[in-house]
Amino acid sequence: MRGEKIPDQHHIARLCNPKHISEEQIQATAFMLRKNEKSLSVNWTEFLNCSSRRSEIIELQNIYSRELKVAASAIIAVLNVGEVREKVLTESLDRRNLEILHDPQFNDTSHSGIYNLKDDDILIAELILKIVCETYSAHQ
Amino acid sequence: MPELDLQKADERFEVARKASIAYGNEFLIDISPSKQSYPGASEIIISQAFSAPLVNHIRFFTTAAVNQEGRQVSISGWLEKKDPFTQVDLVDSEEDQVQQLIYQIKTSLSIPNRESLANRLVALLNDAKEEEDFVGVGIAADSLRNFYYFFQLYTDLKCPTISLTPDNDIYASWRVESNRLFSVHFSPNGDARFVIFKPNDLHPERQIRIYGTATTDILKKTVETHGVWDWISE
Repeated sequence: MRGEKIPDQHHIARLCNPKHISEEQIQATAFMLRKNEKSLSVNWTEFLNCSSRRSEIIELQNIYSRELKVAASAIIAVLNVGEVREKVLTESLDRRNLEILHDPQFNDTSHSGIYNLKDDDILIAELILKIVCETYSAHQ
Repeated sequence: MPELDLQKADERFEVARKASIAYGNEFLIDISPSKQSYPGASEIIISQAFSAPLVNHIRFFTTAAVNQEGRQVSISGWLEKKDPFTQVDLVDSEEDQVQQLIYQIKTSLSIPNRESLANRLVALLNDAKEEEDFVGVGIAADSLRNFYYFFQLYTDLKCPTISLTPDNDIYASWRVESNRLFSVHFSPNGDARFVIFKPNDLHPERQIRIYGTATTDILKKTVETHGVWDWISE
């Protein structure tokens, strides 16, 4: 359902393009907004209803390759929703309360967004980077 | 897609050189970044207006007309021309400026890691151009100029990890161990947004986090009280 809050114990995945990666390490720029962007696009992994993380990643790779041009070196970063919100709430200078909401798209029903970010939030991007819990190749 | 090759000679160089002879041989003088507006000053730590350009005049050598077809690009084949008026067409596109700036970084003897920096910038330029929604030039020229200016001002810097923001500005990070970080977003308007993470010596379980904005020329002064220069310089 559009606008549904993703539970804290659930996970989100972020597709990180090569310009946000250096020597196979994701950089904070992967969690920054473009100017005029309202939210940071992610996917709600539990919504995919797969039996394992491995199958979730395969499903995400399918979605990305269907919808986007995925570079060979692109990476999927997986984050825990509660950890993201807690980290940013407790460590950002303005105690930012992020909202992570379901935002389904026609061909990407698990699509979601991280809201309450601003396009110059480099400190928050660095905080989010610190709690990336898993990474996978985005390329099939 | 063919990638940028800094070493490869531009086959059309000879043609451009002939044209340049007809127009003379004078340098185009660039006074960047002072030509940018420096609304100046840090938001948090220091309030200091930018007063004067710190970089002496830089000689910009023109490049031969760069082959953009099929995105094959060369930034070799630089030559001097006398009449600035005649070379506006050669330097006015942002793409040309980006190529020039990367070339200048690659050939600046004062920048210790010039080769690594230039190679990384070329790789990022290609990465950005490969993106599905790519529009523009790959790297924001004014952001890159701001970055270059920073490395010209401070010639003792270690090589940072460089990435691009979603708007293709330069973002440089220096990480030391797991608990020290200095990252800078080189904004096209001459500002440098920075973030510092460092240990809290009195409370080891906590971390000090600092965010601010300063113009590039006062960035060192702005952050050096936090010990940053000890871990990002050689």
